[in-house]
Amino acid sequence: MRISNIFYAIGQSFRNMAKNKGYTIASIATISACLFMFGLFFSVLFNLRSIMNTAEQGVSVTVFFQEGTTEDEILQLKVAVEERPEVSKVEYVSADQAWESFAQDYLQGYTDGFTENPLADSANLEIYLSDVSKQADLVSYLEGLDQVREVNRSELTADTLSGANTLIMYASVAIIVMLLVVSVFLISNTIAMGITTHWEEISIMKYIGATDLFVRAPYVVEGVMIGLVGTIIPLILMYWLYNKAVEIITGKFSILMNFIQFRSVGEVFHYLLPVSLLLGVGIGFFGSIITVRKHLHV
Amino acid sequence: MRRNSYRPADDVVISLRNVSKQYSKDAPGVIGANLEVREGEFVFITGETGSGKSTLLKMIMRQLRPTDGSIEVLGYDLNRIRHSKISKFRRNIGIVFQDFRLLKDRDVYENVAFAQRILMVPKNQMKHNVTSVLQMVGMADKYKRQVTQLSGGEQQRVALARALVNKPLLLLADEPTGNLDQDTAWEIMQLIDRANRETGTTVLVVTHDRGIVDRMNKRVIEMKRGEIISDTAQEVYSDYEEEQYEYQDVDSDGYDYYED
Repeated sequence: MRISNIFYAIGQSFRNMAKNKGYTIASIATISACLFMFGLFFSVLFNLRSIMNTAEQGVSVTVFFQEGTTEDEILQLKVAVEERPEVSKVEYVSADQAWESFAQDYLQGYTDGFTENPLADSANLEIYLSDVSKQADLVSYLEGLDQVREVNRSELTADTLSGANTLIMYASVAIIVMLLVVSVFLISNTIAMGITTHWEEISIMKYIGATDLFVRAPYVVEGVMIGLVGTIIPLILMYWLYNKAVEIITGKFSILMNFIQFRSVGEVFHYLLPVSLLLGVGIGFFGSIITVRKHLHV
Repeated sequence: MRRNSYRPADDVVISLRNVSKQYSKDAPGVIGANLEVREGEFVFITGETGSGKSTLLKMIMRQLRPTDGSIEVLGYDLNRIRHSKISKFRRNIGIVFQDFRLLKDRDVYENVAFAQRILMVPKNQMKHNVTSVLQMVGMADKYKRQVTQLSGGEQQRVALARALVNKPLLLLADEPTGNLDQDTAWEIMQLIDRANRETGTTVLVVTHDRGIVDRMNKRVIEMKRGEIISDTAQEVYSDYEEEQYEYQDVDSDGYDYYED
């Protein structure tokens, strides 16, 4: 295809859009609305996911050992546990550290009556997980070890976090699929409308000997343009709105900021921008290709 | 612009062998048509409404496929032609319709240039070709006019210019004078005849206008109820008689269409 014909296809696509202003605006508006919703969900989920990750990092399993287990044995086990893929960090807490911490937390430091460490057998390993859904596997592994007396875990926290993660993932996929279907349908209708309006022109092209590519290109370009404009508008809006929303929430609910750390707009757009562009342009491209193939047997 | 390089081995441009087209059991379009048209010929296909002449033309331009028989046009076997080759085949053909089929939102120049754009003709060459062909059909001075502002005769001149601008080997016209008054119809037929005489473009005109057919003195194929019932060759006149057969309105446009 010559460059002049590429310009011709672009020119024609603008002409088509101008001719079907109503449908074009409706398509752009719907794609914008869909991608805006997508952006909104994405931003919320992205931040939720980040909060979850922080929470996951706080979930730990505590392992206590049989009487008489030496520190060396515990440290050897620490190395073995650290090698497991679901484990992010293992901390060794000696009996003395455990007592100090207990005395600090519950006895406000009044330990005068205690001559020996009452928690002599409470040296333990605190194991932090990188993937909380694997907590049960880790616990059964630990419980199977001879030196292990007791394994303390927070099953509820782990299950809740793991369930929330799965829910978020399914919700994201469902939203994206719904958006895809609705948007492709809309683009398809707009392009079909354009083809109907230009049917006479298309039939003349066919008689003159236009190739399939020459006839179809303006409609595919039109679809891509609609997709592109329909992506840029919500992205600009999202960029402005995200900063504004973070500003308002941070100002009004400052107490929450001790627990929640919002991701920056740059971090969000690092993923949102390419994904939205891919979605918008992809919807436009495939929506028009499907319609052109269906309606233009040239 | 270079003309298409196709040259038929035995001068046969269109060849139909036992061609039939059946729309439904009770509606035969064409029945067992045999026809040969040689390079440079001007042929009328005539007959009453529903005689099958337009169906025959549509099969020749590969708009319809025959239900039986074989069609070869410009060296293309239309029974076997691949979909991707149809556009290439049609680039050798100019087509004129009864209802002009112009792009109503564009001016005269753009309507003719449209055909050149499809062939990706460079802009300067396109301008030259379009101007030449518009001069030939007597529409050069109205090149900026919107086609909706033109009379029926003028619109058909533009349609003819569009059909001729790519210098086709074959010009097909389906009732080109059907929407025109007698004088305008005659002018259009003279233009088509001139294109045939001066460029050697083979011409096939479908018409039910016996008056024009009788006046033009060309080969006439007559159809009735889907069958070709007669094939009358052009009468050969003496030189003196030939001189009497002259054109009245196209010379003034400085016809230099195929000079390049």
